[in-house]
Amino acid sequence: MALLTVRNLHARVAGKDILKGIDLEVRPGEVHAIMGPNGSGKSTLASVLAGRDGYEVTQGEVLFDGKPLLELSPEERATSGVFLAFQYPVEIPGVGNLHFLRTALNAQRRVKGLEELDAMDFLQLAKEKSKLVQLDAAFMNRSVNEGFSGGEKKRNEVFQMAVLEPRLAILDETDSGLDIDALRTVAGGVNALRSPERGMVLITHYQRLLDYIVPDKVHVMAAGRIIRSGGRELALELEEKGYGWLGLESGKSTTVVAKGGEVRR
Amino acid sequence: MTSALAHYLDVAQRFHARDASAPAWLKRVRAEGLAQLERQGLPSNRDEAWKYTNLAPLVGGTFLPPGEARGAGPLATAVEGTFVPPSEARGASPVATAMEGTLIPPGQALVARGLATAVEGTFIPPGAGDLSAVVARLGLPGPRLVFVDGRLAPELSSLSGLPRGLTLKPLRDALREDGETLEALVGQRALASEHAFTALNAALLEEGALLRLAPGTLSEVPVQLLFLTRGDAPVLASPRILVVAGESSEATLVETYAGVGVGPGATFTNAVTEVTLGDNASLHHYKLQAEADAAVHVGALHVRQGRDSRFASHAFSFGGALSRNEVHAAFAGEGGDATLNGLYVGRGTQHLDNRTALDHAVPRCTSRELYKGVLDDKARGTFHGLIRVRPDAQRTDSRQQNRNLLLSESAQADARPQLEILADDVKCAHGAAVGRLDAQALFYLRSRGIPQAEAERLLTQAFAREVVEAVPAGPVRERVEGLLALKLPGSARREVRA
Repeated sequence: MALLTVRNLHARVAGKDILKGIDLEVRPGEVHAIMGPNGSGKSTLASVLAGRDGYEVTQGEVLFDGKPLLELSPEERATSGVFLAFQYPVEIPGVGNLHFLRTALNAQRRVKGLEELDAMDFLQLAKEKSKLVQLDAAFMNRSVNEGFSGGEKKRNEVFQMAVLEPRLAILDETDSGLDIDALRTVAGGVNALRSPERGMVLITHYQRLLDYIVPDKVHVMAAGRIIRSGGRELALELEEKGYGWLGLESGKSTTVVAKGGEVRR
Repeated sequence: MTSALAHYLDVAQRFHARDASAPAWLKRVRAEGLAQLERQGLPSNRDEAWKYTNLAPLVGGTFLPPGEARGAGPLATAVEGTFVPPSEARGASPVATAMEGTLIPPGQALVARGLATAVEGTFIPPGAGDLSAVVARLGLPGPRLVFVDGRLAPELSSLSGLPRGLTLKPLRDALREDGETLEALVGQRALASEHAFTALNAALLEEGALLRLAPGTLSEVPVQLLFLTRGDAPVLASPRILVVAGESSEATLVETYAGVGVGPGATFTNAVTEVTLGDNASLHHYKLQAEADAAVHVGALHVRQGRDSRFASHAFSFGGALSRNEVHAAFAGEGGDATLNGLYVGRGTQHLDNRTALDHAVPRCTSRELYKGVLDDKARGTFHGLIRVRPDAQRTDSRQQNRNLLLSESAQADARPQLEILADDVKCAHGAAVGRLDAQALFYLRSRGIPQAEAERLLTQAFAREVVEAVPAGPVRERVEGLLALKLPGSARREVRA
C-alpha cells in the first residue's frame, strides 16, 4: 500500500490558487524528488502536507497510510509519522534545542503509549544521532536554531528527523543555501536515514542535491501541477537543458514572474 | 471611595485607641499617617500615578487589621475563633457564610480559579490548619520570620543561623527595644506625605521586620520574610520592613507573599519596605508575590543607595485580583548600581500594576531595568517606569525595557516609560513592546508533535526565562520556577483549547 497518496490536490493561499491538481504516490522505501522553478508551488505542497495555517484546500484529498491526513492537526500529523524539514527553520530564543526535541519525542511517545525518555536516556540518544550530521554538542544546548548558520540549521533539521524517526520525511529545499561540504554532510545524514519502511520527498530547485541523494522518482512541477514524472534521468536531463527545455523559464528568470504568483508555460 | 476612606480612618482610630500605651514617637508616626491618609484620600483613576489601575477590588472590600478581622486571640484558635462583632465586620459577610459551610456560588468559584489551581498545586496542603507544610514548601534554608494574616507567627519563624553582624528582629520587638533607631528609620525613605497607602501603613504600624547589617557583614544565606494569608477573614495586613545595610555589607532578602487558600475571601496586604544601603553595600532583594487570586496586594519598596552600592530587585507578581508593585530607588552617592527586574503573570481578570522610579540624583550611576508581563484571559498588566536624571547626574548610564506577551485577545498591557533627563552627558535608553506568541515558532513546535497547549507553554516559559534566569541558580530560583509553573498555560487548559 502507498504510504502517501495525493489525489487531485488544489489549494489556495490568501485567495490565490497555487496548487491546481497534484497527484502523487509515495511507497515505503521510495525517495521522490520534486523539482521545479521558484513559484511552481513546491513549498506550498510541503506546507499543506505538514498542516501550516493559512492554506485552504479547495479540492482533492491526501491519504497517509490509507487514512485522511488533512483533517489532522500539525501535531497529530507529526505523531502519525509525517516530518517536514523546513526550508527556513525557525529560531526560538529561550527554548533549548535538546529540551525542545525531548519534549517533541516524548509527546509523540505518549500518544503511542510508549514510556517517556528521561533526560539521561534522551541525551544518550541525541548524542548518537547527532553524529549522523556532525552536529556539535554545543549546538544542542543552545536555543533552537538561534544564531545558527544556514548549514547548521539544515543539519539541525536532519538531526531532528533522525531522533523522531518519521515514516514520511518531506525535505523542503534542505539543500538550498548550502556550500558543498555542508551539502555532503546533510545528504549523508539523509542517506543514512533511508530505509525500506520510510518514504521521502525531496523538494529542490537544484539538481545538485540529487548527485548526493539518488531518487527513485523525479517529478517536475510548474504552475501548481506536476507536468512530468520519470526516473533519475529526468533530473539529469533537466540539469543539462534547464527548465526552459520543458517550456519553462529558467529558475532565475522566473523568480520575478513567480512573485506575481503565476508561472506562464 | 469616600466610604472606603472613612472606613480606614475609623480602623486606624480604633487601633490607636487600643494601643494607647505605645511610646510617644510611635504614636506620632501613626497619627501622622492617619492625618496624611485623611488629607490625601484613597487614590482614584484621576490620579496620574493610578491612572491605569483598576481599584475596584480595593474599594469593594472592607478590610480589617489583624486585631479586628477575627478577634485578637492567639493564632492557634483563630480559625475556629471569635468573629468580629457585627458593628466592625461590615463587608465581611461572604467570609462568614463560607465559614458556616455554605458552598461558594459558581460565579465566585470561577473568580477563585487561582485558588483552585493553587490547591491542586505543589505548595498548598489539602487541610486548613497545617501552615508548617506551607512554610516547608515556600521557605528557604536560613533565618526567617513568618507572618500569618498580618501577625507574626513565632512558632513558624526561625532565627537560628543568623550570621555575625546581622540582626533580624520582628518589628513588634524592635518597636519596644530599639525605639531611637526606629524613630530615625520609619518614614525616612517611604514618605506618608506622598503616598496614601504608605500613610495607611504608617497609621497601622505594628508588624514587620528590622534587618540590620553591621559594616562588613557578609550574609551567605538569604533572609526570608514569609507573609501568608489564609483568605478566611477580610484581613488588612500592614507590614513595614526596615533594612539598614552598613558599609561594604552584603545580604539577600526574600519577601514572599502567598495566599494559602483556606478560605475564598479577599484579603488586603499593604506592605512598605524601606532600605538604606551604606557605601559599597550590596543587597539582593527578591519579592515573590503569589497571593490568592481574590487578594489585593499593594507593596512599595524604597531604597536609598550610598556611594558605590549595588542593589538588585527581582519582583515577581503572580497573584492577586489587584497587585501593585512599586520600586523606588534613589542614588545618593556616586558609582551606585541598580538592577530592577520584574515579571508579572496574570490570567482571569487579574490586574497587575508595576510602578518603578529611579532617581539619578548624583553622577556616574548605572541602572538596568527589565520588566516583562505575560497576560492571559482578560488580565491586564501595566508598567510605568520613571527615570529621572537630575542636572548634576552626569555620566548616568540607564537602560529600561518593558516587554509584554498577550496570550488572549482580551488581555491588555499598558507600557509607559517616562524619562526626565536634565543632565546632558548621559546614556539613557528605553524600549517597550506588546506582542503575541510567534505563529511561526508555534507551528514549528507543533510540526514536531508537541501539542498546541504545550507549545504555547514552552514559548511562554521562554519569554519569561530572561527574568527568571537573572535570579542566580539556587533555592530562590527554584521557588520562583515552582510558582511560575502554576501560572503558565498548561494541562488544565488543554481541554478548553482543543
